[in-house]
Amino acid sequence: MPVDVDNSSTVSGDASVSSSGNQNPPPKSTAKKKRSLPGMPDPDAEVIALSPKTLMATNRFVCEICNKGFQRDQNLQLHRRGHNLPWKLRQRSGKEVRKRVYVCPEPTCVHHDPSRALGDLTGIKKHFSRKHGEKKWKCDKCSKKYAVQSDWKAHSKICGTREYKCDCGTLFSRRDSFITHRAFCDALAEESAKAQTNPSSEPDPKVLAEDSSPTPTLLPASPPVSAPAPVEVQVSAPALPLPLPLPQSTSAMTSSVMPIQSSELAEDPSSVMEEAPALAPAGLNGSCSSGVSSVSNGSSSSSVFASLFASSTASASLQPPAFTDLIRAIRPPDCPIDPAPSTPIEPISLCLSTSHGSSIFGSAEQEDRQYAPPPQPAMSATALLQKAAQMGAAASNASLLRGLGVVSSSSSSAPQENLQWGQRQVDPSNASVAAGLGLELPCDGSSGLKELMMGTPVFGPKQTTLDFLGLGVAASGSPNGGLTALITSIGGGLDVSAAAATFGGGDFKDIGRRS
Amino acid sequence: MKTEVRGNGASISIQNPSLFNTPQDSITGALKGCLGSLDGACIEKLLLHCASALENNDVTLAQQVMWVLNNVASSVGDTNQRLTSWFLRALISRASRVCPTAMNFNGGSMIQRRLMTVTELAGYVDLIPWHRYGFCVSNSAIFKAVEGCTKVHILDFSITHCMQWPTLIDALAKRPDGPPSLRITVLSCRPQVPPLLNVSKEEVGHRLANFAKFRDVPFEFHVKDDPRLSNESLAVQFESLLTQLTRSELDLREDEALVINCQNWLRYLSDETKGNSAHGFSLRDAFLDIIKGLNPRITVVVDEDSDLSAPSLSSRITTCFNYLWIPFDALDTFLPKDSSQRLEYESDIGHKIENIISFEGFQRIERLESGAKLSQRMENAGFFSLAFCEETINEVKSLLDEHASGWGMKREEDMLVLTWKGHNSVFATAWASTKLED
Repeated sequence: MPVDVDNSSTVSGDASVSSSGNQNPPPKSTAKKKRSLPGMPDPDAEVIALSPKTLMATNRFVCEICNKGFQRDQNLQLHRRGHNLPWKLRQRSGKEVRKRVYVCPEPTCVHHDPSRALGDLTGIKKHFSRKHGEKKWKCDKCSKKYAVQSDWKAHSKICGTREYKCDCGTLFSRRDSFITHRAFCDALAEESAKAQTNPSSEPDPKVLAEDSSPTPTLLPASPPVSAPAPVEVQVSAPALPLPLPLPQSTSAMTSSVMPIQSSELAEDPSSVMEEAPALAPAGLNGSCSSGVSSVSNGSSSSSVFASLFASSTASASLQPPAFTDLIRAIRPPDCPIDPAPSTPIEPISLCLSTSHGSSIFGSAEQEDRQYAPPPQPAMSATALLQKAAQMGAAASNASLLRGLGVVSSSSSSAPQENLQWGQRQVDPSNASVAAGLGLELPCDGSSGLKELMMGTPVFGPKQTTLDFLGLGVAASGSPNGGLTALITSIGGGLDVSAAAATFGGGDFKDIGRRS
Repeated sequence: MKTEVRGNGASISIQNPSLFNTPQDSITGALKGCLGSLDGACIEKLLLHCASALENNDVTLAQQVMWVLNNVASSVGDTNQRLTSWFLRALISRASRVCPTAMNFNGGSMIQRRLMTVTELAGYVDLIPWHRYGFCVSNSAIFKAVEGCTKVHILDFSITHCMQWPTLIDALAKRPDGPPSLRITVLSCRPQVPPLLNVSKEEVGHRLANFAKFRDVPFEFHVKDDPRLSNESLAVQFESLLTQLTRSELDLREDEALVINCQNWLRYLSDETKGNSAHGFSLRDAFLDIIKGLNPRITVVVDEDSDLSAPSLSSRITTCFNYLWIPFDALDTFLPKDSSQRLEYESDIGHKIENIISFEGFQRIERLESGAKLSQRMENAGFFSLAFCEETINEVKSLLDEHASGWGMKREEDMLVLTWKGHNSVFATAWASTKLED
């Protein structure tokens, strides 16, 4: 059996517990549909989860006759032919090969999820290298680093070979982005305006600035083109000469008329100004949306987004937004309107990673998966929340807490502050694991939900929050069992009693060693 | 993956240092660590539960699920977390209509979006091949179709503000037998969706004209306008639009080759059929019918390959979640978590998510249908599918080679589909209005 597989399961069926780090793929019922649904692999496909070691092993395909190893199955088959095998042995071992999809062994990766599996072994190998592997290959020209050698080779081939430079100074590694930019760049507009006023020194118009020749200095007198330039719109400007009669409802521009207009701009500013306010909103199409406004810069807009949902950002308060806060945050905060973008944009040549010649995924013509829509959730909401808790707890409970090393004694002593997650002072009398997490609970390990919720200011104004969560003050086995299970399993998973037994007060060095 | 934290002589080894990224840690930080490992399928189910809770007016349950989702969501996290944050936002927006609050959600998007300059937009459409793919395929097909023509008129129905045309102008300029004279007509009415520009269409046309002149291509630019309608809803504007698509209104000329370019456009035309369902005719069908009547030389249709207009909210959530991870994943491949370009791009996708999930009726303007369905619709309208030639395919291949690996292309009958890690993302098709005599 040439293939060394650590775990095999179906996307749709149940999986046996696998090698370390792999989660159980959630069971799905098979519902075959003819039409493929984008993003969903074949539910009957066999999900292969290989360990990182196996995945990166270079010679997974081994000849059973001479034990020679090969990177690819095709190469192995070619090799086997050389052994002059009798007909029977030449055939692959007979069973119908099921379509195979591969998941990434890295648990935090999006491709770890069977519903995001990749259909190609080479693909998952390269993905794993690129995303989670060490970047061992470095380009000498531009110091970009690559984990996969073929990527590095492909990049080195084109690095610095083709560069397009716009008059405004921006560099492009791709011609189409260069052309598009150039068409709209201010530099071109100003250059053509200059060319019109100085026809004798006009450069050869056929030459595109594809090399890095320096730009002649731009005339300051040229009209600013970033503002809506109404001069070209001929809705009602009989003063400007037009080659064609214009119908009422359309506005036309001709390139031959345009240069005359720019020189006439200075002469006829009044008619231009009349047009401006009428035209400025025209392109923006005011409608019922309130969303069209400019935010001062990229960072403040991302803070709008981030503050919505992030529990902790540099500027947000310590407490995560309660539901009411969420709604409050969504209302657009007052931002100064600043039309001038101040966020620098990375030049395109630096943003994109270049690919190698034969894209692995480029052979997509061969792929023809049958996709099926995911089945309707069979679980009730409470069960789902419980499952979320289990998964969260199971997958990272041990690692969360061991990794955090945040287990402290039950006795009240010593500088618990060191273990603070937050900046707040912990009441030393509440020494417990929960205190280590900033929960300020009484040091009873079996903290009930009520104490958990009431004890922490993290959830915002207590009364509001409790009501919001529908728990009331007397929380006891309420219909919100799912949420309760979630909280207690995370709280309960803190394993306070065991921790208390293992560690003396304040001896944190052992914690380090334990993880 | 271990980091050391030192404090007062104690040293703690942490296995998951990302939990320390937030400067102020709290239980939510810890929770994020746990819940952040929820996989996509689980998040999808939570979203569905939230949606069904909203539909059943079960506010308590909805809030609980939102609480959990909130702890997963992060607009600067990994792909799943980012997607979740936009979906959660859309659900909250929907919830605000179910349980109205004092806040003002006047039916429009709450997502603030900076307006871009033209050069920023030029960079935006090239961030990932999502748009450039459509441009490349369409321009190549158009170039081929107008071979030998001396006059070309393009009716441009798209939302990317003419970013497609510089490369076509460039290609036409280099034609061995000289460039044709080119006219481009756009509509003044455009769905109020991102990407949003800070200048008028006229200004865009001005720059394009400038560029054409620079390349010695005779060029005209028209904005088809109906000022009476500027404050009406999109549906009304579109209905009026149909009456304006006549030879005389568009000033179509006998000697020009007419090209119809529909990029990310048809989805905004309502697909709800009026009249009997058997002979149902929607606005979309009416538009196609009119277009065909203009007898264009070629019609190119490009859009995203997914069915996102189902009446059922759950179905839309599922499909949307499983489709839009594609651009999120692509961006994640090469842009850092705090990249402002990435955040803006994702925010625009979030705008779309919000419309699909949070709105209904005529306010839900995103009615995307997949390439297969659209092809069927085109055939029903009497169009004949055109295959793309080898040159086009080679051009696309070299385009994709220049981008991150993971982008691919495949053929589905006559349709060319852009794929990311094997998943369909954008489809491109070309159509003739009459059967070619070959």
